[in-house]
Amino acid sequence: MGEEQAESYLYKLEAVLEEGRLLTIVVIAQTDERAFTSAENNLLRHTIAPPRIKELSLVEKKPLGRQGVGYVVETSTFA
Amino acid sequence: MAERKQWKWAADPSLNKMEFTKLEKDGLDVIETIVNTYSKEGFASIESSDMDRFKWAGVYQQRPKDGHFMMRVRIPGGILSSEQARVLANIAADYGRDLVDVTTRQAVQFHWLTVESLADIFERLASAGLSSFESCGDCPRQIMGNPLAGIDPHEVLDTRPIVAELEKFFLLNRDFSNLPRKYKISVSANIHNAAHAQINDLAFTPAKKVIAGEEVIGFHVWVGGGLSAKPFLAKQLDVFVRPEDVVKVAAGVTTLYRDFGYRQKRTHARLKFLVADWGPEKFKEQLLELVGELEPGGIDLTAGWNGGYFYGIHEQRQAGLNYAGLSVPVGRMNARELNELARLADEYGDGTIGTCNTQNVLIRNIPEAKVAAFRNEPMIVNRFKLQPNTFVGYAVSCTGTEYCNLAIVETKERMRSLAQYLDDTVVLETPLRIHMIGCPNSCGQRQIADIGLQGALVKTADGMVEAFDIFVGGTLEEPQFNRKLNARITVDRLGPFLAQLITLYKVDRQEDEPYWRYVERVGLSHIQAQVDSILQPA
Ligand code: HEM
Ligand code: SF4
Repeated sequence: MGEEQAESYLYKLEAVLEEGRLLTIVVIAQTDERAFTSAENNLLRHTIAPPRIKELSLVEKKPLGRQGVGYVVETSTFA
Repeated sequence: MAERKQWKWAADPSLNKMEFTKLEKDGLDVIETIVNTYSKEGFASIESSDMDRFKWAGVYQQRPKDGHFMMRVRIPGGILSSEQARVLANIAADYGRDLVDVTTRQAVQFHWLTVESLADIFERLASAGLSSFESCGDCPRQIMGNPLAGIDPHEVLDTRPIVAELEKFFLLNRDFSNLPRKYKISVSANIHNAAHAQINDLAFTPAKKVIAGEEVIGFHVWVGGGLSAKPFLAKQLDVFVRPEDVVKVAAGVTTLYRDFGYRQKRTHARLKFLVADWGPEKFKEQLLELVGELEPGGIDLTAGWNGGYFYGIHEQRQAGLNYAGLSVPVGRMNARELNELARLADEYGDGTIGTCNTQNVLIRNIPEAKVAAFRNEPMIVNRFKLQPNTFVGYAVSCTGTEYCNLAIVETKERMRSLAQYLDDTVVLETPLRIHMIGCPNSCGQRQIADIGLQGALVKTADGMVEAFDIFVGGTLEEPQFNRKLNARITVDRLGPFLAQLITLYKVDRQEDEPYWRYVERVGLSHIQAQVDSILQPA
């Protein structure tokens, strides 16, 4: 059994942009801090003009230990 | 090791990985391995395939993952004796860093246990007629009940023997130790839905029916409730169950779940998925095929919902006797306090203690003559209050980052201090239930709160800051889960924000209108407008 530091998580983050749009970012990281950094890097890579982020938050994490963990990113609401 | 069962799903290649683990070795078999091997050879000797099975022994790795465990102990129906309480207190003192949590399912939870201590703990529990077995894992968990059973003026029959029978039937029963997923039962004959029927997999609520000219008191049956990321309210089956048939019906429902429940994906395995697919009609037909004819539903005897709260001194069904509902802020106490509770139960009551799904406790059977002295006990005056202030009294919290691997934020101490702040800031005479959770799994039952707070981390100029999403209007009175507002409040502003939101409600509401009903009346967009106005930079 490894140290907690060695465990990786699949993180779900949300970015609210200045113009009001909401983006969901999913990254693998070992700590919450690194999840934020990776999310920002991914946002940069994804856009030509740097996105104007109003708020970036981490909303969920799942241990990567089990194959197949993931997220459903809702763009509309389901029953 | 017991003989292996030949389960009918064993040959299905589409089973999820955990199902193969369970077929290889039943979860219950890990208990023997823990006692004979792991507790002697230590953490390093634990085989990784057994780590998941530890849940069947009622233990679960806690954060940080450095060899410590949490353990849940079953308190069937939420009633335990003072002797049992002392055994629990001593376990916490000897092995659990002096920490005792009362959970949202009336169980008791320890932290910081090592695998070396488990054999001794199992033995101590057994010596007191207690058990942690199957309190986690894919099996029948702690049975929720009415902690006032037997003394409750608002119950239509004493459910203690029924809960005891169910516990005896299911606990360590290898016919039901391999279910598709966790399985939660609730039994209460309290007319105020004390055991949260709609959020359990299987629930019994009070009902009556005239059968062959005779009025029979019994139960209605609910199936398929559950919270977590996609909550679902249980559906009522059109049957009436006599008290003596409860175990038979529970066995039938559990058999249906075992044999027809889904085992392909763990995220689609709870009973709620089968109930949603079949619908209550088909579920009922299948149930009757298994258990034989049952009467169609009778008259529902439930009238509203007490939220699981019992504060204060109240008269019992038995004249001259009283029960005392006490507040345990966010359910946490230490060994000394639990021992003290046991002493109070012995000295003033009949030696029984109730655990509530609101993370509180109660003492039963206090004679009228002793009430005044009881009120004056320092522990009651200073700690386990009979009339806690509104916010401390109606605050519920999950474990959070302190011990939980999935948590995004700290919750327990934060909920305690937030409630204290609100009590110091806002005067509100009626209950307002606030539940705080550290991630979407909802152990703290965020969905049924008047105001639910769910943790998130926000990146700011000063680094990561803990924050909470706000959900409003949850209740089991007219069952409805709370709904999300567009607001993520950082913790530095959480107290003042809630104080303002609650003050707006206080001004607007009709007499004694509970918050959930107020949300219902004014509408979510009205509350959102309140939120926007509070958050508007001055
Ligand atoms: C180490 C700490 C804990 C962990 C890792 C944990 C994990 C989880 C997970 C993963 C779920 C969602 C499972 C599902 O339904 O799919 C869950 C649900 C739940 N847990 Fe916990 N939990 C922890 C502590 C607690 C505590 C302290 C309580 C009680 C105060 C609690 C009570 C519950 C309840 C009531 C649910 C809701 C289940 C439902 O009705 O669907 N848990 N927990
Ligand atoms: S709600 Fe999330 S953070 Fe809280 S105890 Fe449950 S799993 Fe952990």
